Amino acid sequence: MDWWVWPVALLAVTFAMGIVAVLAGVGGGVLFVPIIGAFFPFHLDFVRAAGLLLALTAALSAAPSLLRSGLASVRLALPLTVVSSITSIAGALLGLALPTGALQIALGLLILAIAAVMWRSRASVHPQVARADPLSMALGMHGMYHDAALGRDVEWKVHRTAAGFVAFAGIGVIAGMFGLGAGWANVPALNLLMGVPLKLAVGTSGFLLIGGATSAAWIYLERGAVLPMLVVPSIIGVMLGAKVGVRLLKAAKPAHVRQVVLILLVLAGARALLKGFGI
Amino acid sequence: MAPIEDRISARWIEVGTHVAFTILVLSFAIYALQILDPLVPLQDLVRLWQLPVDRFVAQTGAPTGWAWLRLLGKGDYLNLLGVAVFVVVTIACYARMVPLFIREGKRTQALFAFLQVVVLLAAASGLFR
Repeated sequence: MDWWVWPVALLAVTFAMGIVAVLAGVGGGVLFVPIIGAFFPFHLDFVRAAGLLLALTAALSAAPSLLRSGLASVRLALPLTVVSSITSIAGALLGLALPTGALQIALGLLILAIAAVMWRSRASVHPQVARADPLSMALGMHGMYHDAALGRDVEWKVHRTAAGFVAFAGIGVIAGMFGLGAGWANVPALNLLMGVPLKLAVGTSGFLLIGGATSAAWIYLERGAVLPMLVVPSIIGVMLGAKVGVRLLKAAKPAHVRQVVLILLVLAGARALLKGFGI
Repeated sequence: MAPIEDRISARWIEVGTHVAFTILVLSFAIYALQILDPLVPLQDLVRLWQLPVDRFVAQTGAPTGWAWLRLLGKGDYLNLLGVAVFVVVTIACYARMVPLFIREGKRTQALFAFLQVVVLLAAASGLFR
């Protein structure tokens, strides 16, 4: 097949992925790696590197408006980012050292697990945090944002900060190893574990992802795993798709889109498993 | 109003991302239209991108580490300039926060911003090769 067919196909698929990701409220990375890894001819090393860069660029694009509106918090993200950045380097090194078959199997299992978590998880819009723990107070992890829907300012503080650090260490390893981005894990960890209000958790998740994706991306870049013919059309496709997705957001039914995402994840996860077993 | 560190981060990220995206689109047009010859011929790429990265590097002579900077005259590796700007933006953003936090007396947060810069520079330096 001619070379130009692949960037055109990537552009089309990632454009659709960008729309779906916005409508379903998931990061592009979690869709990109399993779907492109399963149905395109690129080796998983290149797909994982592209997935990280895709997650990074998407998070960077969204960050300015979220930060200005107070729906992402640097002071909440910063300590957790340092931990996940260190562990995502370890994840990237581990991913590059493992045999492809083992990695495909692990990816397949992980994607199926993510689909299960997304299906089962119930977010808490305003979790109750009776008392901020001393560690979070020492790190300045508290503040206030304006909730336009409620028409008032919402104060936030966090608890279980030590457990949060452990969770983000694990998330960093997985994100670096599989190039998935980490929005699917960041939001529940911030919201359900640490008691961050849902809106702030969603906004801060992207800023958190920036540090981890950057450190792991350097490892892949440094090893020669960044393939422009894969990376650039994908970034352009997802960014354009996300812009269309935002426009469609008012008319779409997110619950239905989310079901489509779950089906896609199950199919891609199963395909990755089969590839891992050489089927 | 959002805290000063959030507003400054927003501005730096916004400008850096626009610059990076523009470079990325222009360099990819140069690559795809074959205005500059690529290191790896496009016809061969279809076969080679199925290989693990180690074998891809061995067969193509593709650069590792920072050696890609010497190949910016090649259509394919010119694209890494835009990619690198995306990644550098992040480091610059955290580095900008250090003096900001120190000035505001937030020493713990200044320390974490500094640590984040160190981690990212360590990853970029090839220390983990």
